[in-house]
Amino acid sequence: MTAGPSRGRRYAMLFLFLCGFSIILFRLVTLQVLQAAELTAKADRQHQKTVSFEGARGTVSDRHGKVLAMNVEVPSVFGVPTSLESPSTVARHLSPVLHIRTGELERKLRQDKSFVWLARKLEPEQGRRLEQLSLDGIGVVMEGRRFYPKGPLLAHVLGFSGMDGQGLEGLERRYDSHLHGEKRVTVLQRDALGRTVFPKGLAEQVPTPGHALTLTVDEVIQYIAEKELEEAVTHTHAKSGTIIIMEPQSGAILAMAVSPRFDPNVVAKLTPDRWRNRALTDTYEPGSTMKVVVAAAALEEKVMTPGSMVFGENGHMVIANTTIHDHEKLGWITFSEVIQKSSNIGAAKTGMALGEQRLYRYLQGFGFGQRTEIDLPGEVSGLLKAPKDWGRRSLASISMGQEIGVTPLQMVSALATLANGGVMMKPYVVSEVRDQKGLLLKEVLPQVKRRVVSPDTARTMTTMMEGVVTNGTGAKAAIPGFRVAGKTGTAQKIDPRTGAYSSTQFVGSFVGYVPAESPRLAMIVVIDEPQGEAWGGAVAAPVFRRVGEQVLNYLGVSREDTVKIALATRDY
Amino acid sequence: MKMLTIVAGVMLVFVFVWERVDVVRLGYQIERLKSQKVLLERERDQLQVKFSSLTAPERIAKVATEKLGLVPPQQGQVLMVHQSGDVPGLSLQPVGQVRLARHIAAGGVSE
Repeated sequence: MTAGPSRGRRYAMLFLFLCGFSIILFRLVTLQVLQAAELTAKADRQHQKTVSFEGARGTVSDRHGKVLAMNVEVPSVFGVPTSLESPSTVARHLSPVLHIRTGELERKLRQDKSFVWLARKLEPEQGRRLEQLSLDGIGVVMEGRRFYPKGPLLAHVLGFSGMDGQGLEGLERRYDSHLHGEKRVTVLQRDALGRTVFPKGLAEQVPTPGHALTLTVDEVIQYIAEKELEEAVTHTHAKSGTIIIMEPQSGAILAMAVSPRFDPNVVAKLTPDRWRNRALTDTYEPGSTMKVVVAAAALEEKVMTPGSMVFGENGHMVIANTTIHDHEKLGWITFSEVIQKSSNIGAAKTGMALGEQRLYRYLQGFGFGQRTEIDLPGEVSGLLKAPKDWGRRSLASISMGQEIGVTPLQMVSALATLANGGVMMKPYVVSEVRDQKGLLLKEVLPQVKRRVVSPDTARTMTTMMEGVVTNGTGAKAAIPGFRVAGKTGTAQKIDPRTGAYSSTQFVGSFVGYVPAESPRLAMIVVIDEPQGEAWGGAVAAPVFRRVGEQVLNYLGVSREDTVKIALATRDY
Repeated sequence: MKMLTIVAGVMLVFVFVWERVDVVRLGYQIERLKSQKVLLERERDQLQVKFSSLTAPERIAKVATEKLGLVPPQQGQVLMVHQSGDVPGLSLQPVGQVRLARHIAAGGVSE
């Protein structure tokens, strides 16, 4: 029998198999258990590709649905340098289409990268020409680009968004959470050659676009304000200017114009100074327009009546070792005339009659020293010191609009309060937010902030301010056929070099409302550093008249002298 | 009977195959229409931007003054017409206004 060697071979074979299986088992345990996490991640990196899709940014329209900002898909072009045979030839073909120098394109295409952007968010025509070229290693993808079809119109309010669709300034920034489209991340599978295998149904997974905003602004009123402001700033060689038009009964902003303007379609070369919304980011000493607030407080507190007599000190009054001047020598005048003639001494005396605490309370009541809470970014609260920090002259100074910093928005908001019978409304620019199907998500209703003065005081102030336009410093704001209530303001600016009031730099302003008996518009015009004659009554009041007249015509508001016409109906 | 069963079976197979082919064909058609929809939506958006740019008040004012020689209305040239019956017995209904406007647009008011 030869069982011995046969058994030996069998054992040897068994041993070899066992060794082999042990090695395989060991390797399996190492790969499947010990290195499982690491290797799974490595495999995922090789097989999967994560891409993010973003829905289009929402549209912004004016109160009548006129589009002010919207997204359009435009071509962006990229290159795959590793798959290019002759980068210089490709660059020569691309250069005239992309308007980029050949050398610059070639440098990008010679990089040791598998993907490089050559130009993003081009004009649709450029995309068509690129497709006609059909160059190997060059691809075109569609990306959303923000367009502001009206150019500079309302730019300071709209703001702008960045290359990747994020809101950077203005409403684009404030409402970014509503405007930006849904971001969806999708994992794509890649085959052994690295080609993308699109998962089934990807085409249906289009991300939801952002929400659409409807503004309270009217593009025609905005245009009228911007056009007249530009003309005024150019004509007076001023540094800048602001106009705000508000609906007194609701607080809705109808127009917010800032000069100089900018085009949000081309912001790359501009500085923040250019796109800052000065209507709510910059403070100025209001000067005489503040007298309206002081007068309203005095009437409400019954410290004064329109007929109260005030002595004008013949144009000079010494307070805390400083002299207050009036621009004309005034004797005994009525309280109405203090406002009409814009007497500094009369205003100072009114403030002193009120006292620090009461004046401060009304200044706060009218919204000074605090944000109006308008739905725009960058608003400042202005400068209003507490009475404990006031100097010996502060009471008089604040009463005539010095030692206090206000924004144009705060000032027009205060005047709109008087136009609205003493009730302050919260200013706002966005009235509706809707989703992509037009479903109403948010409706902004007028919001009462507080009652500041009684309807009687508001009415009396209206009559007194009408006097400013009919017989006082604001004559150039008069709009034929309408009753206008308002106040002029001319404030010296503080010279940053000397720290004292400048004798050459002024802010001229006019703030008021029209028609006085039933106000449709509250408006402020601020002209910063006009050259030559700088009186608010000379530089800002005429702008108020021109804008007011056109806007009232546009809104179809009847003049007092309107001829009543009735037409008979006729059937055809 | 056997023959009939075979014919019916073959017919069923044909129907099944035809149905599968048609599903694929419709699938392609849906994809093509979807791409067309995307292109049309893109074109619509581009036209919307163009429309909004062309109707910008600034541009209209420029065309009106520089090309057509129009000027803003002067004082007294704007007359508000009241709709309410200010004169007893006479009234202007909105419908009447629309009709009137349409007739004027069509080349003058006709009886």
